[in-house]
Amino acid sequence: MATKHTFDAIVVGGGPAGTAAALTMARSGLKTILIERGNFVGAKNFFGGVMYTHAIADLLPDFWERTPPFERPLTEQGYWMLAPDSVVRMTHKSEHYKHEPADAYTVLRAQFDPWLAEQASKAGALVVTRTAVLRVLQDSKGKVIGVRTDRPDGDVYAPIVIIAEGVNNLLTQRLGLIKNDLPPRFVALAVKEYISLPAKDIQARFGLTGANEGAAIDIFGDATMGLPGTAFLYTDKAGISIGVGMLLDEFIQHKLRPYEVLARFKNHPVIQPYLEGGKPFEYGAHLIPETGYDRMPKLAADGVMVAGDAAGMVDALHREGTNLAMTAGRMAGLTAIKAHQAGDFSATFLNQYRQDLENSFVLKDMKQYRRMTDFLDTTPHFMGTYANFLNDVALRYFTAHGIPKRDMERQIVGMLQERRSFFGVAQDMVKLLRAMRG
Amino acid sequence: MHSVVAIKQVPDTTNVRINPETGTLIRDGVPTIINPYDIHAVEMAVRLKEQFGGTVTVITMGPPKAAEALIECVEQGADRGILISDRRFGAADTLATSYVLAHAIEAIRAEHPVDLLLFGKQAIDGDTGQVGPGVATRLNVPLVSYAIAVESFDPVKRRAVIHRKIEQGVEVVEVSLPLLMTVEKEIAPVKRAPLSNMIKAATYKPEMWSADTPVQFDITQVGIKGSPTIVGKAFTPPPREAGAILSVAEKGLRDAVAQALTMIGQAHVVTVDLHV
Repeated sequence: MATKHTFDAIVVGGGPAGTAAALTMARSGLKTILIERGNFVGAKNFFGGVMYTHAIADLLPDFWERTPPFERPLTEQGYWMLAPDSVVRMTHKSEHYKHEPADAYTVLRAQFDPWLAEQASKAGALVVTRTAVLRVLQDSKGKVIGVRTDRPDGDVYAPIVIIAEGVNNLLTQRLGLIKNDLPPRFVALAVKEYISLPAKDIQARFGLTGANEGAAIDIFGDATMGLPGTAFLYTDKAGISIGVGMLLDEFIQHKLRPYEVLARFKNHPVIQPYLEGGKPFEYGAHLIPETGYDRMPKLAADGVMVAGDAAGMVDALHREGTNLAMTAGRMAGLTAIKAHQAGDFSATFLNQYRQDLENSFVLKDMKQYRRMTDFLDTTPHFMGTYANFLNDVALRYFTAHGIPKRDMERQIVGMLQERRSFFGVAQDMVKLLRAMRG
Repeated sequence: MHSVVAIKQVPDTTNVRINPETGTLIRDGVPTIINPYDIHAVEMAVRLKEQFGGTVTVITMGPPKAAEALIECVEQGADRGILISDRRFGAADTLATSYVLAHAIEAIRAEHPVDLLLFGKQAIDGDTGQVGPGVATRLNVPLVSYAIAVESFDPVKRRAVIHRKIEQGVEVVEVSLPLLMTVEKEIAPVKRAPLSNMIKAATYKPEMWSADTPVQFDITQVGIKGSPTIVGKAFTPPPREAGAILSVAEKGLRDAVAQALTMIGQAHVVTVDLHV
């Protein structure tokens, strides 16, 4: 006989948002079920590789004692501006990064996410994997009352459902919380390889003294063929995560295949030596929502809240997402606890969650950089032009030609004018400033 | 009705590699799965439970990680999972493994009589197919190997009619209960587990048995001590060379065929007189 499965709360999706929500609610005694479609929690998850500890500490103050599976602490971070055959590097390395736990670590999600899910299980959450949620169940007034899974006798009921389904937010769309499917203009595709390499080689190549040091480099310019986007090079314990991310629209417009862009980047004369002798171990791709603050779905409706990538919670400029997701999941969980105490699951009550996010870095940052995607969209030449320019300037600056320095400076100004008028440069800078200031 | 299913957690051999120096499987970082035949054995037991009531017990011998496999069996409808795990059981061959499983089953049936024992026909990491028959011999119960269908099963009259795959076709066997079956995948297609089983399995903790609690095993018969098998050499056979291509366009049909027949003759495969 079919049994009616009833819980205090349902979480859809075992990413950082969903797991943080489930952990928060289970810890306060709510009977919580987390439903994940992957073979295990983390099976569908994938990212560049930097995890910020502040969001984990907010969720689990004693996380360090629970031995999270981190790769390397970040002790050097920065940017490389890549031209077709050269690079200008600007990175920051500091002894101040060296404290335990560090501010940020490189992480492999297939290891980190199961660990986080285990913490949620320990807190009492029921984690069910290999089960997909097909749709959200609503009563006659539209209030969300549960979900239907793809299992026989698979309906689950709860007064509150937290949707953390990830970037491909079909449930959010079907509920009408967002009108449109993800437009290719506002979603990035990142492809990544994990190249396995002995730790001593990684340390020698990146100038690291041991496993207690690690580097995270974001790379612009020729890495993405001068198109808007970034590439990255992160050091893991015994491997390097290397990848490129570009808006889907760019791949479509320029008829590029993601793996070709990555292969081109890997063969760049500056990049290639870092990978020499490494064995490609894993290849993966994932979408990243870059919809921005103004195109977020409604975050709460009767009986339901949305968190993480499903709600477009990504700060692309600072390559942050998991920390936003984890914070949002925690806040959604806290609101669900209050809703249970008040016995009120209405949209009005659950909007507390949106308020909490507006008061936190999550929506403050997203609001500040609300114009960033538009900026790149309307200034597509930006990365390519200035990355090449910087490299050409460097070459001129660091070579002596037996001419007075004043002439060299004039030549440099001339080089800029050849590429972009003074008016164009001024316009680019004003646009950039505006995009940064929100 | 009480069925006991013995399963094994194995490396997913679809992406397994061999260490060229030792000739053994590289198990590090290779995902593990339930031996594919074994999950069908579980399914068969669950179907009989659905028909006649009763319980399904699943046992396995393996490292602590093998608990995952038992939990997956609970998802598929098993009621009880027992993990027999002890360092002293390590490096067991099929003789030692069949002793441990048979001894465990004796303990289980002393508490709760067993009508049916189910095994997969073989494990994909060893491919011996010896453990099931070994346990049947030790327990002195009828063995039906390579079973593909249960035509009838009567727990009251204590009789079953089972189809088994043999080289010439299918053999239909009538057998008395309790019996031991080793099964092919055809025995029962695996159904998608209902959500209630998933919820039950999410918090299920299999029982852990060591070499001395709750059952005392004879230490001389387990693990490497109880395993007379000696692996002389394990190697990867050299890849086969590509075959010769005789172009009809270049040589003409007659010459090409003649040359092909000569080559076949030289390989001592067959001799042919050509009358074209």
